[in-house]
Amino acid sequence: MKTYFTEQQIASPILQEAASEIEKCRHYGFCTATCPTYVLLGDELDSPRGRVDLIGKMLEAGGVPDPSTVKHLDRCLSCMACTTTCPTSIDYGKLIDIGREYIEENYRRPLAERALRTLIAKVLPNPALFRLSMLAASVARPFSGVLGSKLAGMIAMTKALKPQKSDFAHLERVDSSGAAGYRVALLEGCVQKVIGVQINDATIRILSRHGCEIYKPRSVGCCGSLPLHMGRGDEARALARRAVDAWHSAIVDEGVQAIIINASGCGTTIKDYGHLLKGDPDYASKAQIVADHALDISEWLVRIGIEPVAPLGLRVAYHDPCSLQHAQRVTSQPRQLLTRVGCDVVNVPERHMCCGSAGTYNMLQPEIAGRLGKRKAENISRTKPEVIATGNIGCMNQIQQYSDVPIVHFVELLDWATGGKKPVALCATALNRG
Amino acid sequence: MATSSQTAVQQDDLAEFMVAARALVGAEWVDTSASKVDRFGENLMPEGNVPVSGVIYPNSTEQVQGLVALANRFKVPLYPVSTGQNIGLGSRAPVLPGQVVVELGRRMNRILEINEEMAYAVVEPGVSYQDLYDELESRGHPLMLDTTSGPPQGGPLGNTLDKGAGYTPYFDHFYMSCGMEVVLGNGDVLRTGDGALEGSKSWNISKYGLGPYLDGLFLQSNYGIVTRMGIWLMPKPPVTQSFFFSFPDDDDIGEIMELARFTKLRGVIPTLLKVTNDIYAFGTETRFPLDRADIRKTIPDAVRKEMQTEHGIGSWVVSGAVYAPTQEAADAQIDVIRALFTKSGKATYIPQEIADENPMFRIHSDSFIGKPTRDEFPLYEWRPGGGATWILPVTPIHGETAKDHQRLSRNILERFGFDYICEHVVGARMSRALHVLVWNREDPEENARADACYKAFIDEYAAAGYPVSRPPTAYQPYAMNRLGHSFLQTCNNIKDALDPNGILSPGRYGIGLHR
Repeated sequence: MKTYFTEQQIASPILQEAASEIEKCRHYGFCTATCPTYVLLGDELDSPRGRVDLIGKMLEAGGVPDPSTVKHLDRCLSCMACTTTCPTSIDYGKLIDIGREYIEENYRRPLAERALRTLIAKVLPNPALFRLSMLAASVARPFSGVLGSKLAGMIAMTKALKPQKSDFAHLERVDSSGAAGYRVALLEGCVQKVIGVQINDATIRILSRHGCEIYKPRSVGCCGSLPLHMGRGDEARALARRAVDAWHSAIVDEGVQAIIINASGCGTTIKDYGHLLKGDPDYASKAQIVADHALDISEWLVRIGIEPVAPLGLRVAYHDPCSLQHAQRVTSQPRQLLTRVGCDVVNVPERHMCCGSAGTYNMLQPEIAGRLGKRKAENISRTKPEVIATGNIGCMNQIQQYSDVPIVHFVELLDWATGGKKPVALCATALNRG
Repeated sequence: MATSSQTAVQQDDLAEFMVAARALVGAEWVDTSASKVDRFGENLMPEGNVPVSGVIYPNSTEQVQGLVALANRFKVPLYPVSTGQNIGLGSRAPVLPGQVVVELGRRMNRILEINEEMAYAVVEPGVSYQDLYDELESRGHPLMLDTTSGPPQGGPLGNTLDKGAGYTPYFDHFYMSCGMEVVLGNGDVLRTGDGALEGSKSWNISKYGLGPYLDGLFLQSNYGIVTRMGIWLMPKPPVTQSFFFSFPDDDDIGEIMELARFTKLRGVIPTLLKVTNDIYAFGTETRFPLDRADIRKTIPDAVRKEMQTEHGIGSWVVSGAVYAPTQEAADAQIDVIRALFTKSGKATYIPQEIADENPMFRIHSDSFIGKPTRDEFPLYEWRPGGGATWILPVTPIHGETAKDHQRLSRNILERFGFDYICEHVVGARMSRALHVLVWNREDPEENARADACYKAFIDEYAAAGYPVSRPPTAYQPYAMNRLGHSFLQTCNNIKDALDPNGILSPGRYGIGLHR
């Protein structure tokens, strides 16, 4: 597709990058079939190729974006399903991030929306504030009828969530209980550190059991993913720099071999740190080194191998988080590991479709997210699983709202099968090892 | 060639039709906004986009019937599409400007039945290969799909009606279809075969029943809108084992075709054979080498040979598969095939274990297990610019003739400055030779060359005695005219009988342009 940027515009590296991606689009339309919003809404402007056009026109025109453009770009889940079907390999992720950042800088949203977005951007990446907000949500729950629909939806979403305590919270380093002599760093995340500590604990146990010494630098907080997807690029880069400082020194000074991520949304951002900070001469090369060391937990465990103590023998529906299957193209490793520990792994129909979680999407676009969540839960139920496993805390919370089947992070099952604890979500069930 | 005036619609009639259509299907399911409608007119062919008057999304056979009645009343031409993009064959754009697209994929996408015991499914037009694959997978794959190597969002109903095919023993999609429900152009609903019997219990298992066999009328035609169809499915074999052979030279196509005929006629190989040329194979993972060749010309043989070496293949890759109850039985079948194909000493055998590590080969393995794949998409990017089409002449499974056809194709492509990118899909007696033509459609000069190239294929293959089957919409009238007056006149007579106002896809496959 031709672009019509002026010479002055194209001098900007960001617009140059955008133009080169937009020009790759041939309007084949393969992306439409896998785009959740197009499938639901049937509007070309809610399809990837429609949005590519909108971003192009918005950037070419400059100035204040059209509210309609903002609406259609806001509806994008950033699930990247389109990138797996695009024959011309458009880097849609970069393009939508550029579009979002442009909107954030040039468009004034209505007050309530601004307040909500600021609340999300400030609270979620900050575990202390997030804990406090969950307490506030429990107080506000009886009054949610008088709050706006989005805020009420967010409060309802927290109902099933409880802040938890980690067995390893106080440690910055966990020793290996195996002999292999690996050294890794672990991202504990921000949201996950509050409502998904069982995932981090299971990860630490299985890593330690398989010969890994684990670093958890305290200075690493949010990886930047949440603000990035809300168009808050500067905030994202600030958080990324903090993480790069900590991990780069762990790699260079401590000999850390890999940065392990068990929240796949974060993994996508960290693996792209090289690009995110490429305009910062002080950080560009360090960020690329960190990105090159980033691995999803499943990639690392396949690399080092795991030893089950008893086969689980469970029928497990594996839900591919978009960030793993589309952005990172990690699909076989979780299945391989679950099969290794004796699970009967079944694929979910429409496995390419997002569950509607998509970072902060289910808070900002609750109607579409709800439809996607229900659709995902229905597709999962068709496979008649005993357990749902996935690789991202966001997907777990989203799907749990619409499904009665217990849902866990796959690493919890792997930990259990290799001698760890029974996953919390399964404790009330009769399911057992072997 | 038809012109827009042949299907000119009175704007008042169109407006009244749209009002009535909104009342019938619901206002939200009728769209005339440019941002959506224009997409349906987009076309990768040299002729460019075709303006569309609107898009309607019906939900049932009854609604389709209602729309056809309205179209007859207001003399508004309809253009039904199922699911997928039809890239390379005309996209979703009508043959002529001004037609109203009836988009069946969005709402009529239900799998109506899967009968595991009798091994068939009944689907609506919007059911995609991926949908059906997912459904079978969720049932533990008791049955296997036969899919094309095209995009997973294409569907079995539309593919069958356009005479599409796959690769497994159920490759002949029309032969493996059984029982259609069709809204004719005159508004009647026809249930073909045993389905014509009220309360029929054998609609989707008995093909020929009583009376004339009408199903074939709805292939590559414009006599009706098929709203449901039965398709037979193959029980999934316990073991599927693919095999691959690489042949070094262009002219090895002769030996390959002789081996193919021998093995296919005798039932040695249950699948079709895919005989894939070098660029078709490595074009899925690399692009035209701009640093080594002139993009305005056919890639030189020397460069092509270099690329063969780089990708570890020769001029042709042959693939197929066997099905067996056990791995041992599969291995024994492979041994027989291997002995035959390597006897002359030219072929190199590539076992599935090695091939599966390479996406270039995995495309083929997936075909033989009925798994939809999108791995062929990158072929469209072999040359930059987004123009893409398929040219599908028929080639007999005869060594010398296949060599002649290769020479003919290479000669045409070289004259117009394009590359020979070809995969023969080989049965016992004939192959459909899938030629991929890619060009820069943003360059008017290249567009003109691509247009002339396609027409040369139609003309020169016709002169040699072979039709180019399944042309894109833009070339359908041109290709049909090569079949002679009597054939086309008969098609038009049937059109007059079943669609007297000519409101269904006028011009599709050249039919209905006689008025």
